[in-house]
Parts: sequence; structure tokens; C-alpha cells
Amino acid sequence: MNLIRLQRMPIATPRVAFAFRVASVLLALFTTAIALSISGRSPVALGAKVISATFGSSFGLEDLALLFSPLVYCGLSVAVALRIGAWNIGAEGQFNFGAFCATGVALFVQGPTWVILPLMALAGMVGGALWILIPTLARAYADVSELITTLLMNFVAILLVYWVATGPWLDPSGMALATTSRLPVSVPALWGIVHWGPLVGIFLAIALALFVTYTRWGYEVRIAGANPGAARYAGMPVKTQLIGIMLLSGAIAGLGGMMEVAGTVGRLQGGISNNYGYIGIMVAVLARAAPIGVLATAFFMAVLLNGGIVLQSQGLTTHTVLAVTGLILLYAAIGDEMAHYKILHPKVKDI
Amino acid sequence: MARQTASIQQRLGLTPGTPPILALKGVSKYFPGVIANEDVDIDVYPGEIHALLGENGAGKSTLMNIVTGIYKMDAGEVIIEGHARDFSSPTDAIDAGIGMVHQHFKLVRAFTVAENIHLGWPQTPKCISKRHLESRTHALAQNLGLAVKPEAIVANLSTGEQQRVEILRVLARDAKLLILDEPTAVLTPKEARELFAALRAFVARGNAVIFISHKLDEVMEVSNRVTVLRGGKKVATEWTDTCTENSLAQLMVGREIVLTETQKKTAPSIKTAPILNLSDISLTTDQGTVLNNISFDLAAGEILGIAGIAGNGQRELTYVMSGLSTPSSGMLTLDGKDVTKAGARTMAQTGIGHIPEDRLHSGMAPTLSITDNAVLREYAQPPLTRKGWFSPKGAANLAREIARVADVMVPDFNMPARNLSGGNQQRLVARREMRIAEKILIAAYPSRGLDVGAINTMMRYFIELRDQGVAVVLISEELEELMNFSDRIAVMFHGEIMGIIPTKDADVEQIGLMMGGTRQEDLT
Ligand SMILES: Nc1ncnc2c1ncn2[C@@H]1O[C@H](COP(=O)(O)OP(=O)(O)OP(=O)(O)O)[C@@H](O)[C@H]1O
Ligand SMILES: [Mg+2]
Repeated sequence: MNLIRLQRMPIATPRVAFAFRVASVLLALFTTAIALSISGRSPVALGAKVISATFGSSFGLEDLALLFSPLVYCGLSVAVALRIGAWNIGAEGQFNFGAFCATGVALFVQGPTWVILPLMALAGMVGGALWILIPTLARAYADVSELITTLLMNFVAILLVYWVATGPWLDPSGMALATTSRLPVSVPALWGIVHWGPLVGIFLAIALALFVTYTRWGYEVRIAGANPGAARYAGMPVKTQLIGIMLLSGAIAGLGGMMEVAGTVGRLQGGISNNYGYIGIMVAVLARAAPIGVLATAFFMAVLLNGGIVLQSQGLTTHTVLAVTGLILLYAAIGDEMAHYKILHPKVKDI
Repeated sequence: MARQTASIQQRLGLTPGTPPILALKGVSKYFPGVIANEDVDIDVYPGEIHALLGENGAGKSTLMNIVTGIYKMDAGEVIIEGHARDFSSPTDAIDAGIGMVHQHFKLVRAFTVAENIHLGWPQTPKCISKRHLESRTHALAQNLGLAVKPEAIVANLSTGEQQRVEILRVLARDAKLLILDEPTAVLTPKEARELFAALRAFVARGNAVIFISHKLDEVMEVSNRVTVLRGGKKVATEWTDTCTENSLAQLMVGREIVLTETQKKTAPSIKTAPILNLSDISLTTDQGTVLNNISFDLAAGEILGIAGIAGNGQRELTYVMSGLSTPSSGMLTLDGKDVTKAGARTMAQTGIGHIPEDRLHSGMAPTLSITDNAVLREYAQPPLTRKGWFSPKGAANLAREIARVADVMVPDFNMPARNLSGGNQQRLVARREMRIAEKILIAAYPSRGLDVGAINTMMRYFIELRDQGVAVVLISEELEELMNFSDRIAVMFHGEIMGIIPTKDADVEQIGLMMGGTRQEDLT
């Protein structure tokens, strides 16, 4: 006897979907709280600590903004590619390579700051685009899935950065093991230690949102992403679009990398990407590839990651944070599916 | 009431008191802004083929989706063999003996027929060899009287064969009620006749069929009773033999409509100037040579019918003419200019409209809004796009205008286009293309899925276009349609043109022979 039965609806209404999102986040936090209390810690005290450390002081807020920056760029990068139906798993690599190229400019080109900084941003974007070029061409012309190729490129970029930071570009002062020397120029500060990176990211998200709705290109991307067959039928240059959008996706991640070296860190170091590229996938998926949504999910992720840093100072490992983010994604996926279901009232007379 | 029921059973040769296989009582379903079904009562008895008729958007597909558990009804009851049921998925429905074949098939194209039949079927043995799977399929097919090739890959089958596989898949699961949503829209007349024979054999075993179609002659031929829906409500259930095509059409639209109106030919006004010229066009794809040395002139102000069994190169020909495919050899000239490699955008901008054969795959993006779909041809020009800026408001206005002339009721232009009924999608696409067809309109099976009224309106419009000097290429499997509307008929077979005959000299027999591969010059 089954009393309650569910029916799957073809689409989930936005309100229900949003409610499930909120519920899944709360549930993930709740699960973590239980795990923490089982291991003998007080989740309430820890939570209060995280909140006060993050929002209670300008230091916390500044840290939050600095974490927000790479997440926005990587999230937008993945989201943009998703709009045309491509999975960019390689934001991590493009971020690293963009950072690498920007550092190259800073270290080896002399000039006034107002020339060098834009040049670095350009180098970051070109670097990011270059790093996705091969997967892009392989997808466009040989129909090779970008899923694997972009992922593989990550390892190359990460190792490359490690190598230059420990070898050729190693800080000659001998003080460091795996970083370059301090870059001669940096992105100017806007508020406290927060540089222009997060703000530019916000503008970029708004620009992308406007692009999708209010430009002819944006319309074409929407069509090609939803049904390439219809785009070809309308005579849209589907291949060119795919290539253009994927390169843009790489460039955005590369710009994120530039902001990170030239703004937040001030030098190129191994592991500078800190998994932001992978977290960016989560940011984009949770935002359903909507640029403005990315702002919200990136902020949320930044709070989580920042909370993780606070937790570390309380003697918990980073794995706790990774576990929480993983849980949220898992619950959100389950919630998205459940939002499609309606409960049928058991007026059925089964014989 | 009781007497009437008894007489239905008697007329169907059932013992009095036999309950219906399916009874719908007061079924209602509402979508935002739309009454899809309201207070619908239908009884379907063992041994009958029950036709379901109605205009585009009348709620036929929705009603059947409720019966099979895809949608949930807002009010009413579905009673299967005397028990009220409320299925939550098609799997539940098939377990209760109700199976549906949708207009868009749901087979796995890369799998063999045998694999498709056994997929997701609890009775499939856990561990089974390929040979055994095929022999089981063969036995099933023989039992049920449906000829299929168990070892064939589905992608290589004709539409009619794929449909048989779909039906076999449903029947193998012991369906007692088979629901077919516009099954003949994509079949050749011969395949349709085979389907009808199989359906008659199926109901003769004490089962029932619900048959949705817009083709009134088929409804007259194959059904025992017919129910008509209008605006989501049931108008009538009648014995088919008490109806005529005209009376059915009248029930559907609720007023007198003249079916024969457009059947009289207006005098063809062929201007001599050829507008499009194909010379020695061939096309080779990975399927082999699909077009072979095609040469003809298309004149401004004519309707050129293209006859032939589907899959003989018609689709490829439309693709070449609309710039979607570049021919491997040969030349295409438009108004004396070489446009062999012009591409789809240029061709559309020069005034060539194209109603494609499979609207869901190439003519539309079903997940995007109705507005986005309606403006697919005009998005790049003012007032929609100015200096690269796209105006959503301009798009909404154009979409409203297209929906108005296409006579499609749209409650919300932001809803995904796939929520529209099949016929309404076709109406929108057809209108969108007619708007841009200043020189040529290529219409591949344009009446597929349209109700009689809509076909009438569209054909009248085709004739208007022709009289304004537009060349219309009309691809159809229905000889009657071609004989009635075209000025010349070209017949295609295996990627070649067997001949082009002026319609006034054409007779159906001749065309039939040419469709089977006889060249015009070999006809005696
Ligand atoms: N998921 C949905 N959301 C909103 N409206 C819908 C949905 N599905 C169907 N409708 C609307 O319900 C009405 C009935 O649609 P339905 O598909 O049942 O028509 P139909 O009789 O099958 O027409 P056709 O002959 O064109 O196939 C239409 O107005 C359609 O737009
Ligand atoms: Mg329908």
C-alpha cells in the first residue's frame, strides 16, 4: 500500500525551485552541525564565531570580498560556456595561465603603471583564451568533448606555474621557496585591502546579463545553446559562435587570475588558483548559468570558504569546508530534482 | 442512459454489461491562462477503435497525457475496467494495460529493434544473449502480427518501421488500450494502410484503440466511434457511420465550414521568368549519394509540387534550395546569380522562406520562449536589432503579430514553445516563414499536424503568394493535395527527379508509377 505518491512534472516552477534551493543549503548546514556536535564541538559557538569573524569586522568583510573576486570570475567563465552548451572544466587552468601571463608582463615589461596594468589584464585574458584554444578547436572541428580536454589542460597549467615559481622566476632574494618576487605594479586598492577585482567582476556580470538579453549576439547565443540545429537553420555561424564564446569563457577566467596575482596576492605562487576554477563550476551550476545569479552564488561560496578559514583557526581542517560545499551541491541537485515533483493526494482506490 | 450503453455494447458485438476499458468522467486540466480540458466524459469499449478529433489546441494530446500519467488532472476520474486510477507515470499506465505512442518517437536510435523492445521491461530476462533477444522479438512480432526486423538498428529504419517498433513495444507489455497520437502524420499511404490492418486485428482480440488524427478520411475509414473536442470540452461522441467528413469538420469548429472551398484551382499565372535554377545538382553525404543530377527551373508565380515517398531526397533538396547544404557538384542560380554557396542566412535574407520537415529539430528551439522562436527569421533587422542592440520589446511585438495572424492563442509569450500544441507550433513556424518568403517559399509537409481549417487557410495563403509572383515549392506525400494545389508536379525517387508533369496533364496512376522509379520518358 502506498499512501503518498509523487508525480514528476516536466518543469519546476521558479518559486518551488528557489524554496528547494534554500532548504538544501539549510539542510547541508544542519548536517554539518550534527557532524560537528558528534565530534564534540559546539556548532552554535562555531557558527557564531564564523559569522562574527566574517561580518563582524571590516577585516572579515575585506577577506570576504577578496575571496568573492576569483569565484565571480571563475563562475562567470563556466556560466558563459554553459550558455552555448559547453562545459568548461578548465577555468582552473585558464586562471593559472592568465595569472602566469600577467606576471610575465609585470616582471619583464617596464613602463608606467597605467600602461602596465591594462597590459597585464590583457595578457591575463589572452592567456586564459589561449589555454582553452585547443579544447575549443577540438570541439568545434573534431567534435571532441571539451569536458576531458579542458580538465587535462588544468594539470599542465598548475604544474607550469609551480615550475616557474620555484625555478626561473623564483624570488631572487632567497626568502621564498615557491613564489616570484613581489610584482612592481598592483591593482589599486578600493577599500581597505580590497582592490578593483571584485567590483570589475560585478560589472562584468551585469554586462554579460545585458549582453544575453539586449544584443543580437546574445540572442544568437541563446538559440545556438538551446538548439544548434535551429541556429544553423537560421543561418547563424554556429561554429564561430561556439569558438567565440568558449574563448570568452577562457578570457574571463584568465582575467580572474590576473586580478588574483596583481591584486590579492601580489606575486605569482604555486597553487595560486586554490581550486577556485573547480568551485566556479559549482557557482555556475547553482546559478543555473545566469550571470546575475553567479553574483549571488559566488558571494555565498565566499562566505562558506571564509567560514572555512575561520574554522581552521579553531582547529578544524579544510576538509570540513570542502565537505560542506560538497553537501550543498549534493542536496541542491537532489532539491532541483525534487522541485519537479508534486504530491498526489491518495484518493486512489487500489483493489 | 443504461439503454444507450447496452446498445453501444451490442453494436460492438459485446455481451451486455461489459464495462468500458477506459472511462473518463468529468476530466479537467487547466494550464495558466488555458483550459486544456474541462469536464470531459468518454467511454472506450473493448473491440472499438475510438477516434479523437479536434482543432489544434483543442486538448487531445493533453487528455491522453492525463490518461497515461504524464499530466495530473485537476478534476475528474479515470476509470480503468471499473477501477478508478490515477497514474503517476507512463510506467504505471502500461502496467495497467494502457500504452501510448507519441508523435515524436522515444526509441533509442543507436540500438537494435530487439534491444529497444526489451529495454526497461521487467519481463526481460536478466541475462540473455543477443540471439535469444532477437528470437523473442521475432516471436512477439509474429504473435502480434507486426512485421519488424529484430536485428536492425533503429536509426536505419523508415518512419513507418520505427512506428511499428513503438507499437510492438507497447503491445508486448500486454496493452489492452493503445493510444496513438497522430500516428499517420508521418506515414506513407501504404504504411498507413498496414497500420490500420494491424489496429483492426488488435481490437478484434478484445482490445481497444484511441486514435488521434486530423485526417478525416482516415477517421471515417478506421474508427467505430468518434469523439470531438472543442476548446477543451467534449462536443459529441458519435458512431462514425452516422457522420460525414463535413459533419465532423463542422463539429470541430462549431460552424459551417466548406471543405471543398480551396479545392477549385485558380488559373495558374506562370510568369515565364525562372527565378531559381538548379543545374546538375548532386549531393553526397555519409549516407551515400542522396541527390543525383537534379536539374529544373522554378518559375516565379508557380506552385511546384514535389511528390515521392519520404526519404527519397526531398529533405536534402529543400536543404540545398534554402542554402542549408552546399551541393557536392552542380550550380544553383537565383535571379541569374550564382548562390550555390550562399548559405542559409543569405538565402533567407534574399526572400526564401523554408518550412522545415522536422520543426522540433531544426525549425525551433523548443526550450526557449515563444517570442524567441517567433522572431528567428527577423531578429537581425530593425526594429528588432539596431546597431547590434536587440530589443526584447520589439521581439515581443513581432511575436504577438505572428501569433495573431497564425491564429494561435498564446496565454504567455515567455512560456517555452514546447508547451504549445503540436499543430500550433506548426502554425507559428509556417507563418514566420511565409512572412519572409518574398521570392520563394519552400514548404516541406506544411500541413503535418494542422487541423482541416488551418490547412485550408494555409493553402489559400499559398495560392495568394503564388498570385503575387512568389514561387512555392510544396513537398507532400498526399497526391490529392499536390493535384489540387500545384501547377506542376515533380516526382522524386532515390535522389533523382523522375520527371515533371504539368498538373492538368497528370494522372494519379502515372505519378504512382514514377514514385516507384519509372522515368517519365519510359511511361507508355
Ligand atoms: N505544459 C503546458 N503548459 C502550458 N500550456 C500547455 C501545456 N501543454 C499544453 N498546453 C496548452 O493546452 C492546450 C491544449 O494543447 P494540446 O497539446 O492538448 O492540443 P491538441 O488538441 O493535441 O492540439 P494539436 O492538434 O495541435 O496537437 C493548448 O492551448 C496548449 O498550448
Ligand atoms: Mg497534439
